[in-house]
Formats: sequence, C-alpha cells, structure tokens
Amino acid sequence: MQPVKLCAFLVTIDLLIKSEGWELTNISTPIIEFKNVGLSYGDDEVLKNIDLELEAGKFYTLLGPSGSGKTTILNLISGQLTVTHGDILFEGNIINDVPVEKRHMNTVFQDYGLFPNMTVFENVAFGPSIKGMSKKDIKTKVTEMLTLVKLNQYADREITELSGGQRQRVAIARALANDPEVLLLDEPLSALDYKLRKEMQYELREIQQRLGITFVFVTHDQEEALAMSDWIFVMNDGVIQQNGSPEDIYDEPINHFVADFIGESNILDGIMKTDYLVHFTGKDFENVDAGMRPNERVEIVLRPEDLDLTAIENGKLIVTIADQSFRGDYYEITAIDDDGNEWQVQATNKSKIDERVGLTFDPEDIHIMRFNESENDFDARLESYEGEEDAEK
Amino acid sequence: MSRKFKLGNLYLGSVFVLLYLPILFLIVYSFNAGDVMQGWAGFSLKHYSELFSDTRILEIVVSTFLIALLSSLLASIIGTAGALYIYNLKHTVVKNIFLSLNNILLVSPDVIIGASFLILFTVMGFALGFTSVLLAHIAFSIPIVVLMVLPRLQEMNQSIVASAKDLGANNWQMISRVILPVISPGILAGFFMAFTYSLDDFAVTFFVTGNGFTTLSVEIYSRARQGVSLEINALSTMMFVVSLLLVLFYYVISTRAVKNKKRSTRLVLPASEGL
Amino acid sequence: MPKSKKQRQLFYLMPYGLWLLLFVIAPLILLLFQSLTTQNGQFTLHNYALYFSSGTYLLMTFNSVWYALLITIITLVISYPTAYLLNQLKQKQFWLLLVILPTWINLLLKTYAFIGLLSKTGTVNNFMSLFGIVPQQLLFSNWSFLLVAAYIEIPFMILPIFNSLAEINPRLEQASRDLGANRWQTLRRVIMPLSMPGIKAGIQAVFIPSLSLFMITRLIGGNRVITLGTAIEEHFLVTQNWQLGSTIGIILIVAMVITMIFTRDRKHSRKRG
Repeated sequence: MQPVKLCAFLVTIDLLIKSEGWELTNISTPIIEFKNVGLSYGDDEVLKNIDLELEAGKFYTLLGPSGSGKTTILNLISGQLTVTHGDILFEGNIINDVPVEKRHMNTVFQDYGLFPNMTVFENVAFGPSIKGMSKKDIKTKVTEMLTLVKLNQYADREITELSGGQRQRVAIARALANDPEVLLLDEPLSALDYKLRKEMQYELREIQQRLGITFVFVTHDQEEALAMSDWIFVMNDGVIQQNGSPEDIYDEPINHFVADFIGESNILDGIMKTDYLVHFTGKDFENVDAGMRPNERVEIVLRPEDLDLTAIENGKLIVTIADQSFRGDYYEITAIDDDGNEWQVQATNKSKIDERVGLTFDPEDIHIMRFNESENDFDARLESYEGEEDAEK
Repeated sequence: MSRKFKLGNLYLGSVFVLLYLPILFLIVYSFNAGDVMQGWAGFSLKHYSELFSDTRILEIVVSTFLIALLSSLLASIIGTAGALYIYNLKHTVVKNIFLSLNNILLVSPDVIIGASFLILFTVMGFALGFTSVLLAHIAFSIPIVVLMVLPRLQEMNQSIVASAKDLGANNWQMISRVILPVISPGILAGFFMAFTYSLDDFAVTFFVTGNGFTTLSVEIYSRARQGVSLEINALSTMMFVVSLLLVLFYYVISTRAVKNKKRSTRLVLPASEGL
Repeated sequence: MPKSKKQRQLFYLMPYGLWLLLFVIAPLILLLFQSLTTQNGQFTLHNYALYFSSGTYLLMTFNSVWYALLITIITLVISYPTAYLLNQLKQKQFWLLLVILPTWINLLLKTYAFIGLLSKTGTVNNFMSLFGIVPQQLLFSNWSFLLVAAYIEIPFMILPIFNSLAEINPRLEQASRDLGANRWQTLRRVIMPLSMPGIKAGIQAVFIPSLSLFMITRLIGGNRVITLGTAIEEHFLVTQNWQLGSTIGIILIVAMVITMIFTRDRKHSRKRG
C-alpha cells in the first residue's frame, strides 16, 4: 500500500466517522478529561497513565472486575482521591486540587451513604441547604427530585423505614438535587435483586436522557454496561483495555481479557497466514481481518451465539457433543473437536450427547486478536483495512 | 489540608502528654536520690529498698492482693451462677427485673455503695475488717461478672445444647462439658475485671475498712494527706508495671476470645466512680 | 427432667439471690430507712426538712452540681476533638489503648502525682518561676480540683465518643463532602448528630461520678470544694450523723436517676406527623 493512498483512506474514514457524529471526534471541549493520570500507593500502582475524554450529556460506563481501578477513576473525578501524576480537567480547566465539595459533580454511592439521622426530605435537602437556598426553594427542589424518582409520597419517612430500592432512589434524588453537571454512580444497582435492577437500569437511562447531564456509571456487570451505556471503558489492572460503543466492544474485543470478560467466548490460538486467511485447529479459514505480519501468532474469538451445529458434511469443523443444558430460549452446548478444544455453542435445537455433528460459522464471525496490541494500534489497523475494503467497493 | 492534619496531630500529642505526664513524673521521681518530687539529686534505688524493707507496706500489698484474688474468685462463681439463672429465665419481665437489680451496683456511685454497706454491716453487727472488706468487694464484683458472662450465654448456639441433650448428656454433663467451656472466656474476663476493680477500689473500702485493716488505696490516701514520700512513687512504679501486665494479660485472653468468637470485644474500663 | 431443671435453677439462685437480697436490696432499703428515722429509730421527715431548709446544704448541692457540670464540659471539650482525631488515625485501636491505659492505674496514685506537680515547691511552680512568676499555692484551689478531676475523667469521656464515631460509616462523610459540605459543615451536620449517643454516654460516665467525688476534694481541693460525695463521707465517717448522710445519699441517687433520664439514648424518638 502506498503511503499517499493510506492517507487518503484515513481522511475518508475520518470524514465518514464525523458525518455519523461519532463521539471520539467531536471537536467541542470534553466535560471531563484525564491526561496521563496515574495513582499509586507507595509501590502499588493502582492506575497507570490513564487518558480519557468524556463528552457532556452522554452515559458512560466504567466496566471491569473488582480491583481493576474503575472506582478509583470515579473517586478521582469526584475528588475523594487525588492523582499521583497527570491532570484531570473539568470543562478544560485543571481540577487536581479542587476539593470534593467545590466540584460540580455528585455521587450515588454503592451503599447509598444516606444520613440515618435525617428523613428522606432532609437527605435530599442536604445539598441545597448547604448551598444556602431559601426554605421555599429547597422545598420546591426536593419535591421535584422526589417526583423524578417517584418517591414524593415518602418525604417524611425515616431512612430505616425504606426498602433497598427506595433507598437507592433517595440516593439518586439527593445527588441530583445539587444540579450536578456530572452524576457519578458507583455500582449503585449491585445491592438490588435481579428484577429491581432491570427496572432501575431502564429508569436511570431515562433520567439521564431527560436531564441531559453526563452520567459516569461504574459496574462489574457487563450485561448492565451493554444495556445502558453510550460508551464503555473496559478496565483491568489499572489500565483501560478498550473503549468504544457497546457494539464495538462486543463485536471487536481487542484482547483476551475483553473477549473473556464481555459475553461468552471461545478463544483459540491461531496463525494469521496472510490477510484474510487465518489458521486454527489445523485448518485454514477465510476471515475479514487484515493488517498483520504474515504468519503472525494471534488469538481467535468465536462467540457461542455465532456458532451453528449442522450436518457433518456441511461443518467447517467436526465436533462431538459432550454436554448440554436448557437455558430457556436456547440450549447451551459443550462440544469437543478432534484436537480436543472445547466449544461453547448456543443452539436452538436439542442435540444428543456423544453425537458427532458439524460446526459452522461465517467468516465475519471470526474475531482476531493480536498479542499486546495497544488500543491506538488496534484502532489504526481497523481503520486502515476497513478503509481499504471501502475503497475496493 | 496537610497543615490542618499537622495541627490535629499537635493537639493529639498534647492530650497524650497531659495523660501521661503525671504518671511518668511519678515514675521518674521514684528513682530520685533526693526525698522530694522536685529537683533531681541523681539516680538511686534507695526508695525501692525503703519500700522493700517497709513491712507495713508489704503486708498491705499482700492483703490487697489477697482480697482481690479471693473476692474475684468468689464473685466469678456467684456471678456465673447468677448469669446462668438469668439466662434460664423464660419470662421477659422477670428477666428484666433481675437484670435491672443486677445493674444497680454498677451504676451507683461508690460513696453510696460504701455508705449503705457500712449501715448494713453495722445493723448486722458485723465487725469491720478483712471480712467486711472482702464481702464488700465480692458484692460489687458480682454484677461485673454477670455482665461479662451473660452475652456469652446469649451468643451460645442453641443447637449445641439441643444436640448435647439428644446425645444423652445429663444436667451436670451438660454444664461441665458444653456450657462452661463455651462461656469460659466470659468468666475469665469477668474474673480479670473483678480483680482490677478490687485492686483499684478506694471509696467502698474506705467506708467498710474499720481501724485495723487497710488496703493499698486507703494507705496511699492516708499517706498522701501527710505529704509527699518518694516511697509511694516507688510503689506507684511497681503498681504501674503490674497494671501493664494485667492489661497485657487481659488483651491476650480477649483477643483469643475474639479469634474464637469472631466478635469484637469492646475495651472495658474500670469504674470511674467515687474518686 | 422438669424437676431437676427446677432444682438446678434453685441451685443457681441460692448464692446469687442471697447476694441480691443482702447487698443490693437491703442496703438501699437501709439507706432509705436511715434517712427517714431519728437517732433513736423513730420515723421522721426531719432530715429532709433540715436539708431543704438549710442554705448551707442547698448551696453545697448547687456547688456540687455546678462543679460536676464544669468538669463534664471541660472533659467534653477536650475529649470530642481527641476522639474525632483518634478516629482518623491509621492505628486507631492502638492509640485508643494508650488513652485507656492510664485508667488502669490506681487513681489514688494519679491524684498523688498531682500533689507533687502542683505543690508550692512543685514542678509546675519551678517551671513557672523560670518565667519570673512567683511560686504560689496551686493545690487546694478550685482550679486544681477541676484540673485533676478532668484529668481522671477524660478517658471515660473519650471512649464512648470514640466508639460512636467509629460506628459511623465513613461513606457518610464522603457523601456529605460530595454534596458540597466542607469539613466543618460535615462535622456539624452529619458527624456530631450521629455521635450524640456517645456524647450522652460520656456525660453519664463523667457527670454522675463527679457529683460524688470525695477523695479528690480532700487531697487536691483541700476541702474548698464540697461535693455531695464529700458531704456523705463527712456525715458517715466524721460527724457520725448517718441519718443526714443517708438523706444526702438518697438525694444523690435521685440526681443520678435524673441525669440518666436526661442522657438516655432515645433511639426511636424521632417521629414526624
């Protein structure tokens, strides 16, 4: 590929992205920006050189296992923690040393942090009354907030008289009563039962869209993240592993961690023989990835729902059914291929244990992950060959 | 913010200095070659040798410890019986009445306890002396033991009692093999608390001691009224060391109990009453 | 089985019940009885009449309450910040142990130390004379009494406050700051109300004993401060007027009960219409 041609492709892609209004290339000042932010306790590096930009009015999620640094990032934004190095910017201004109470953000804590010595009303009124609002304005504000979270009947209740879900709502109302520009939510739904959690996911999303403020949501639940967010940051070991829209992250995981953490995956070792030709389980398969060194060692991701069981003669691979369990809308099947690799497959039809069947998938379902590829390299590679494809069309 | 924190540390530092200055002061001067608590005349152990040749003081030390040991032992036995009795009570109202009665001596000022015991002993025609002091110390130690043992009983897993019965244990076996081992940390803590209360008590003893018998606290009181003697400083240093050892011992047994029970034991203080 | 269970309960009750009767109920009844009789054992209300008509006794009671109040306020003012700061330390249990350690030392000895520190030729005066201040009698004054009493009571105030502060979820402080309250506003509006049970327990632990102190008043106060405790000791052991002594004792018990009612932890008192 000639350099000039590459440049042209990049520009094309860039224009395409802009025309679609993608977040990353928006020119306006981000509401929150991290520049090379790190945090260490002694030798323990909790966060390593984080760069991120959050745009106003979007729903962001920091997703990762516990200890991945996601809550640390939240606490840095809110000001409960201070950076070891790097800068945090709010609307373009460095806020490293601005104390918690002076930041235009509020937090919904995991355990809610409601004041047990105050009623629901007094809890929600806390922020406005600290600001010195008049009694009348406070009452209007609190009523408005309690209506927003559907708790206006509960103003005079003691906190101890509320259920977990109601406490959750009070915590949200209290944080929003301060008119924050950014609302930070630290695993707020983790203490709720499954049904209530689903309901709150929907409501939170609705509140965010109605108020139009920025939400930064921390969770370890990938399903929750995929369902609610405009944009997800996947974190592990104090590093942002990948960021992107829920679809991007699901469809194109950058590495083993992301592929494993988001959804269920079959991950295999393979070799990228040339562009669009990958070798694994002793066979060559056509695929849609390119931009790697010839014969580069890679990892292959195949999602269970992208795999289909078929007759032996139609299969790309031949597998033996080892186990299956019914999951309501599909069968979760474990199958073993002739190389001894285990495959998770989601099938609509029931199979027989020990039956030999064919396994099939489409070229675009094969996701290739390079070892130690940085996010920037990953994006650049994706853009380059996708651009090429576009040009070829 | 860091400046504020330093200011806080400064404050804490001065509180600790205030708390420990008088004690260190006593200890340091116990090694003074001079005879008063001022000016430093050089290091000497002469007040310690004075102390060890003062048979009156030594006798008093022995009887003080004897009283403490006997009273805490007997209080542990009676208190444990009381705790078992209260624990076995089914009726809540009756239980609460017993608990309130139990706590009366805990909350009463020492002066009241001392004065009312004095009336009691006089009315009964009981001679004041070693026995009256011992009885008084047993009396005010019992509720402490009950207070330490009862929570252990309440925490006791009901199924152990049921399963012991199921396995055919008779009453005595039940108590000796099942209940006592479970509540023994509580009894030990109660014994220890009673012991320190007894060593520390001044006011109650002062009322019921009569003329012939004295404990350390009462002796120090009467000597202190006559002025400073560095022999008392030497005695304080010894007592300080004993207190330290007792605290250490108590922490060892209470942390062992915590390990067993996974339950945080609150720090307990001796009574502050009747100064 | 039921019969043996009854026997067992009886076996437990014998020593314990005897103690309850002899050393809890009997002394209280005797104290009340004494206060209601004359020297000859006849029923009378004379002792109470004397007490409430005598300016000296009333003034003494007022003084006792006043000094107990002062001691409580002084210890509270010193102890609250101490407990608050202690609670922020990393090794807080260790530091708390250091606060409590002095309480295990015989309080006669601690009082005795102050005699050495405060006497006319004592260390404090020597130190002050370095700055050209003429040595003066620091002992046997109201101030020395307050100082020593507060010194001895401080750990008893710090401990309950510390415990109640330690029970407060640190998240609440974070939440308060997050909602825009500064350190002081957080302390004032969140931390202090939540540590109220500890403050009340501390007041209880300091005020009641302060009413009945008599040893310190003798050794340090030099009889300038007469508390209810001193008066009782005086009537029982010096003037041998047990009847009046018992009367003051009953009044002390009443004062104690009133204090406990005022500082009771009212957990579910907050109800709004």
